[in-house]
Amino acid sequence: MIEFLVFIGLPLLLAVFCYFMQDMIVQFGLTLLAAFSHICLSALVFFGFYEANLPVFFGLDALSKLFLLILSNVYFWVTLVSYSYLKKPVMPKAEEGKKFYFMLLNFYLASNSAAILSSHFGMYWVAAEATTLSVAPLIYFYRNEEALEAMWKYLFLVSVGIAFAFIGILLLTLSAEGTPLEGRQLFFADFVKNAGVLNPIWLKASFIFIFVGLSTKIGIAPMHSGDVDATSNAPAPIAALMSGSLRITALLGVMRILQIISGTSCYEFARVILITGALLSIFAAFVSMFRINNYKRMLAYSSVEHLGIITLGLGVGGLAFAGALFHAVYNSIAKVVLFLTAGNIHRRYKSRQVDHVKSALTSMPKTSWLFMLAFLAISGIPPFGIFFSELKIFEGMLFSDVPALLVLLMFFLLFIFINMGRIIFSMLYKKGSDEPALPEPERWESNHAVAIILLIILTAIAVFSPDVLYQNIIDITKDFGIRL
Amino acid sequence: MDIEIIQGIISLLLLILLAPLFSGVVNKLKAKMTGRIGAPVLQPYYELKRLFRKETINASNSSFISRFSPILNFVAVIIAAAMLPVGFWKPLISFNGDIILFAYILGLARFFQILAAMDIGSSFEGMGAAREVTFALFAEPIFFFTIGSIAFVSGAASLYEIYHSIHLDNISYMVFVVICSISIFMLAVTECSRMPVDDPNTHLELTMIHEVMILDNSGFDLFLYQYSGYIKLFIYTVLEISFFNPFGKESYLVYAGIFIVIAFALAFLLGMAETITSRYRMKNIPQYLLFATAIGILNLLIFTFTQ
Amino acid sequence: MENVLSILFCLSLFYVSLTLRVKGYIAVLRSQGIILAILLLYPFIYDFSVYGVIIPLTILIIKVFFIPRYINKIILDLDIKRQVEPTIQQMTFLPLVIASMILIFLATHIISLITKIDVIPFASGFSAIVVGIYIMIFRKKLIVHVVGFLIMENGIFLFGTAVASELPMMIELGVLLDVFVVVFLMGIALNKIRSSFEGIEVTQLGRLKD
Repeated sequence: MIEFLVFIGLPLLLAVFCYFMQDMIVQFGLTLLAAFSHICLSALVFFGFYEANLPVFFGLDALSKLFLLILSNVYFWVTLVSYSYLKKPVMPKAEEGKKFYFMLLNFYLASNSAAILSSHFGMYWVAAEATTLSVAPLIYFYRNEEALEAMWKYLFLVSVGIAFAFIGILLLTLSAEGTPLEGRQLFFADFVKNAGVLNPIWLKASFIFIFVGLSTKIGIAPMHSGDVDATSNAPAPIAALMSGSLRITALLGVMRILQIISGTSCYEFARVILITGALLSIFAAFVSMFRINNYKRMLAYSSVEHLGIITLGLGVGGLAFAGALFHAVYNSIAKVVLFLTAGNIHRRYKSRQVDHVKSALTSMPKTSWLFMLAFLAISGIPPFGIFFSELKIFEGMLFSDVPALLVLLMFFLLFIFINMGRIIFSMLYKKGSDEPALPEPERWESNHAVAIILLIILTAIAVFSPDVLYQNIIDITKDFGIRL
Repeated sequence: MDIEIIQGIISLLLLILLAPLFSGVVNKLKAKMTGRIGAPVLQPYYELKRLFRKETINASNSSFISRFSPILNFVAVIIAAAMLPVGFWKPLISFNGDIILFAYILGLARFFQILAAMDIGSSFEGMGAAREVTFALFAEPIFFFTIGSIAFVSGAASLYEIYHSIHLDNISYMVFVVICSISIFMLAVTECSRMPVDDPNTHLELTMIHEVMILDNSGFDLFLYQYSGYIKLFIYTVLEISFFNPFGKESYLVYAGIFIVIAFALAFLLGMAETITSRYRMKNIPQYLLFATAIGILNLLIFTFTQ
Repeated sequence: MENVLSILFCLSLFYVSLTLRVKGYIAVLRSQGIILAILLLYPFIYDFSVYGVIIPLTILIIKVFFIPRYINKIILDLDIKRQVEPTIQQMTFLPLVIASMILIFLATHIISLITKIDVIPFASGFSAIVVGIYIMIFRKKLIVHVVGFLIMENGIFLFGTAVASELPMMIELGVLLDVFVVVFLMGIALNKIRSSFEGIEVTQLGRLKD
């Protein structure tokens, strides 16, 4: 019971509390406390020191343990820097948005945990829709027109997408027609156990609907536009949350149905769909990197690209599947650093346009160095973790039945790297014409510390490769019936 | 002589004789609803009588079509009326597939009316003809989808058998029939140029559809046009009433009662529609007709798949 | 009875694709809510249980009272013109709807030969989903998009009854609550859009591009 309280109950209670309590410091303190207890408990659960016992509709398996840890890790660091971020927002209009910031953050944590912990498709759906509801007002934090438009598009597109996922869930019920599952509840575990007897046609239809519907939330092309708009216009901590954990939560739904389908004859079909979607989204990122002039948007497209890589790994299977799970972990950490440092740059230059940011390296060296390091991390430069996970995915692809796709993937990734590098180095090094003579030196801020810690974690996980993580991912692949 | 032929002749005579009365009732009810006293119920008869006695004058540049068309129009409508079953009596003309003849003999009547309208070369009449054709194009599918769906369901292809196959014992069939009757009602409104589609009492040629086509006719020709108009309205009314045939299975008396009640109800509905709605804009009329078609299609779909 | 209600549901879909008045759209939302509530309440005539009546009553309250009232309020507050502005000709829209419906019914019929489903509610629900999507694509006003979304949700609901899936009550209520909050948030967003943009149509939302 205590774990249910910490994971879902406490954030919910705090959300209600924050609605009535106006004081920012109290709100921040309590939210941080909830985040801290969340990360502690999810780490305990992950390391196997604590056996969680959740009520009906909820449950824990290897996959949800991993994703829960990703969520609470991202959330904790984001909460930690939120207060300093709120103290000096970029735009004056954002004052109004502050009032509900922590309330929505708590609601976000509760709904995301509920989605990850759910063991029932209906419950997952309700919680996933709730995550959209919690994050949509946060996108509108700046209270300007772009943010409003982004919020509307995100809310609308994702709601429609989620409605599609609901159709998929209903079709899944149909697939159980005439099997022992008929008339029973939609628990993941039951469906995985009886996957062999499900009606393949309905299973395929269900997979398509759920994948297409949730891809609005994951950011898989061609449904990525709402997601990209939202990520690029949200404040930095929220963008970090969305890229780091919200997309993963949505991916969980696709992985659940993939888990069911992986034991049936429709697996090939699902793989084709996953690989197509993944390549499309990498291609979308590849194309847009050529003509982008907004660095937040560039990062959003980078998220599209990396979720594409993860989906590709899931689709290819085998070693690439394990690589994709590692990639999910590393990507979530690197994205937090990238977005937080980009937020610093945004605050300094008051613009998201690449052309307006000149010689950032001299005016704000600390942020710039961290930004550059995070860029190197996300591009897969050793010794950062993403290098290893991408290597695993490449290796998995090489020994799978689709080695030719590797050429295509490498080509795309190379150009994405070149273009991102071009943009980022022009921001850092290019001299502007009207520079202030002596820019005031940059002070230490909490998000620098957080960025450094996260980069260290990113490297440390990769270098030491903890057994727990390795074992957990092995467990997940076993659950999916994949031999490494 | 066969009893069936006598019954057929009687029902045909009933149709022809009662048709003006029905129009009179509609007009009377409409007048009542708008707060006027209105013309007497028998007014259509008086008008027909007046027109009958008058001399026919044709435009000097009119061809044989103008002289030929009113009679053809009248005869075609009479033939259509002869195919219509009243109650459980077999109509005079009844064979397998007569619904197609029924639809197209009315189409023939309309065709010659349109030709005659264009024959004189008056711009107003040409405009009316163009409108009539446009709306007829959209009205035709309504009939086929509605009557056709019942035909499809019952497997019969003559009006008599189709109406005989209607039974109201299960609820979904009942809803089906009710929806059919809605689209037939919309069809009647269109074909007989009643209110939401066409305003029979308008005084401006620009807004007319049907009335503008017979502007140049007079005397006996006009009598024929008017009379065939009354009969046409009554034909559609009977089409509508026949949906409720099964209620009158017991005896002729019950059937007659039902016939009268439903006829009154329809007259009331027509009058009501003309009182509370205004005429649609010309460009919205095809949508209205398409809606009726959609209902017909829905009927067909739903009834096919409930089997 | 299910078939009858589905037919009425389809009729409301035809009406919504025909009418050009926002009021008509709201009336359709109301009537669809009533149809769905009756559909769920109907079995309880024979076998009454307090527990089972909760969801139909919630639907009645949310879909028939709260949401239409809320949308009406938005329309009044924002002074939205009562005319729905289509981006394509009505004469193309209605045939499109009819054609899609025919396709859906035929497809459902073919499917029903393989799997045991109720053809009419299944196809009606699916048609509502498609019509809702069409409304979102082919209409300019954002408030109409919200109505299109709700029609789609209604369709999913009908569809759900057709596949005879019984979700637990808690989740069923959660779904309803989610939909309600979505509409609520959309309403707030519309208010803001009204005050910061010139109008409330899709054409105004073109700032975010690559």
